[in-house]
Amino acid sequence: MMNKRTPIQSVILYSLVLALVIFCVFPFLQILSTSLKHPIDWGNPSLIPRVLHLDAYKELLGLMPAKEIEVPASIQRLLDNPALSEEKKQMLLAKFSSGGDVFPFGRYMLNTFVISFITGICSTFLASLAAYAIARLRFPAQSLMANGVLFVYMVGGVLLMVPLYQMSVNVGLASSAGGTILSLFLIYLIQTLPVAMYMLGNYFRTIPFSLEEAAMMDGCSRVEAFWRIIMPLSKPMLFTVFIYCFVIAWNEYLFASVFLKQYQDFQTLPLALQTLFTSKNAIWDRIMAASMLTLLPVVICFMLANKHLSGGLTDGGVKG
Amino acid sequence: MSSILVKNEAQLGLKLVAPAVGIIGLLVIYPILFNIYLSFFDVQLNGSKTFVGLDNYTDLLGNPRYYHSVGVSIVYLIGTVVGTTVLGLAASILMNQEFRFRNLARGLILLPYFAPVISVVFGWQFIFDPVNGIYNHVVVDVLHLTNERENLIGNPDSALFVVILFDIWKHFPIAYLLFLAKLQSVPKDLYEAAAIDGQNAWGRFWHVTLPELRFVIATVVLLRIIWNLNRFEDVYLLAPNVETLPIFTYYQAFAGIVDQGGAAAISVIQLLVLVGLIWLYVRKVLKW
Repeated sequence: MMNKRTPIQSVILYSLVLALVIFCVFPFLQILSTSLKHPIDWGNPSLIPRVLHLDAYKELLGLMPAKEIEVPASIQRLLDNPALSEEKKQMLLAKFSSGGDVFPFGRYMLNTFVISFITGICSTFLASLAAYAIARLRFPAQSLMANGVLFVYMVGGVLLMVPLYQMSVNVGLASSAGGTILSLFLIYLIQTLPVAMYMLGNYFRTIPFSLEEAAMMDGCSRVEAFWRIIMPLSKPMLFTVFIYCFVIAWNEYLFASVFLKQYQDFQTLPLALQTLFTSKNAIWDRIMAASMLTLLPVVICFMLANKHLSGGLTDGGVKG
Repeated sequence: MSSILVKNEAQLGLKLVAPAVGIIGLLVIYPILFNIYLSFFDVQLNGSKTFVGLDNYTDLLGNPRYYHSVGVSIVYLIGTVVGTTVLGLAASILMNQEFRFRNLARGLILLPYFAPVISVVFGWQFIFDPVNGIYNHVVVDVLHLTNERENLIGNPDSALFVVILFDIWKHFPIAYLLFLAKLQSVPKDLYEAAAIDGQNAWGRFWHVTLPELRFVIATVVLLRIIWNLNRFEDVYLLAPNVETLPIFTYYQAFAGIVDQGGAAAISVIQLLVLVGLIWLYVRKVLKW
């Protein structure tokens, strides 16, 4: 530990670390590798593709050139028949150029981004108000609320899926796309609020109270002191909490599947990907490319927040 | 402090917590109670209900599929809780050593935890794919352990173990983080004293590390049980044929013959178990 390692100890240490890192990273490499392989190359156990094949990405991102519409010769003869009305011709053509097998990946990504972003902002904002009150102010039922938050964040979504679904049916939200999305947003809010409150509460306690006192001496009200002193000082932590909430909402599948099944245009990525996987369009390279693109924003978030994340997670007790 | 100030502070406090607590009350506390209410009804997807008394519960207790899913859940819980705890502990001890590229390694280890289940699940499916997967390639073609390629995820019995392995991979980073945070606070002189007493590495682990980590280990075990009891997505997305309790509940509520009242009854029973565990956590773990 404190003494210098012998060469053998070093070798053992580095091989153990390497083994652990490979265990953690291998599935990611597998996804990346398959997404870049040509279908003929799938049986090849090596992670390095024989030829780089980017079609799956191009297709998902809509960069593929539009396919030539192939019309059988018999139909072509029909189309050339001047007796056929223009309307009929268009209908015939549409049959062959139907976009049924196009997967609107960009749309799903935008859906997911919007709902995750709004969830992250609202959750961080509401949680910082509540966390400040619980950390700093004295009011009735304060400790009950502090413990209640803990309780709430251990109740899993599965226990709430039936009553939440029934509630949204009863108040009529489940019958329209807008109402469904509102329900989903509220559900994501409660899935992230308790963790956010817990992480922020612990963080606010580490800021010396004397700073707010000084501000209040200078004539700030309590709310102003919170807004002008605590919030700016907590910026890195607020950002971390935002990212955490964003990622939770980005990854959520259960409630998306319960609420958004019938509103295909509003589906989020996890749900859409699962549908793609079980559909006739399930092709490994496409699935893997879609996985990679779903993963990417999370990895970027993770790298941005990494510095504070580990600390915040252990302080906050961690959910998951 | 004057009483007016105290009163003002209390008012401000209540105002600040009101939105968050209101939402939590409306969407967590109320649904829990509503769920108990629903468990006494025959409930349809469109919201219509008929009172059936205790029928949902008696049906459930006479349903062999329920006991089967309880059994699957228990195996799943034991496997994942032991696995994440042991691997998390080993990883934290390893990462507490000084070595080059340590920060990089620490970052990479956290990746499985943050990755969306939906994207990593397909990577794992591919690894175990009977035709293209690396697992069958290694077992059959390289090591010649069996002659036939197997579809491990297709068979519910072996899929359970793939799911357990997957969840250990996905969730050990959290255990690792909690252990690492505690390890860094263990005083160095404890190890020095043990070394002077002639303890080797194993003895230092046994007599210093383990006792120091005792409470964190208990915390991790209890938290893992609580969270894995509710775990849905990992299992359902990787291997929907592995019927743990949450999966069984989901099928009851939203697939095939919809029986939302029955699903509510399962959740009520599961909630009782959960409340017991949380009580244990608040009582024991938070006191440490």
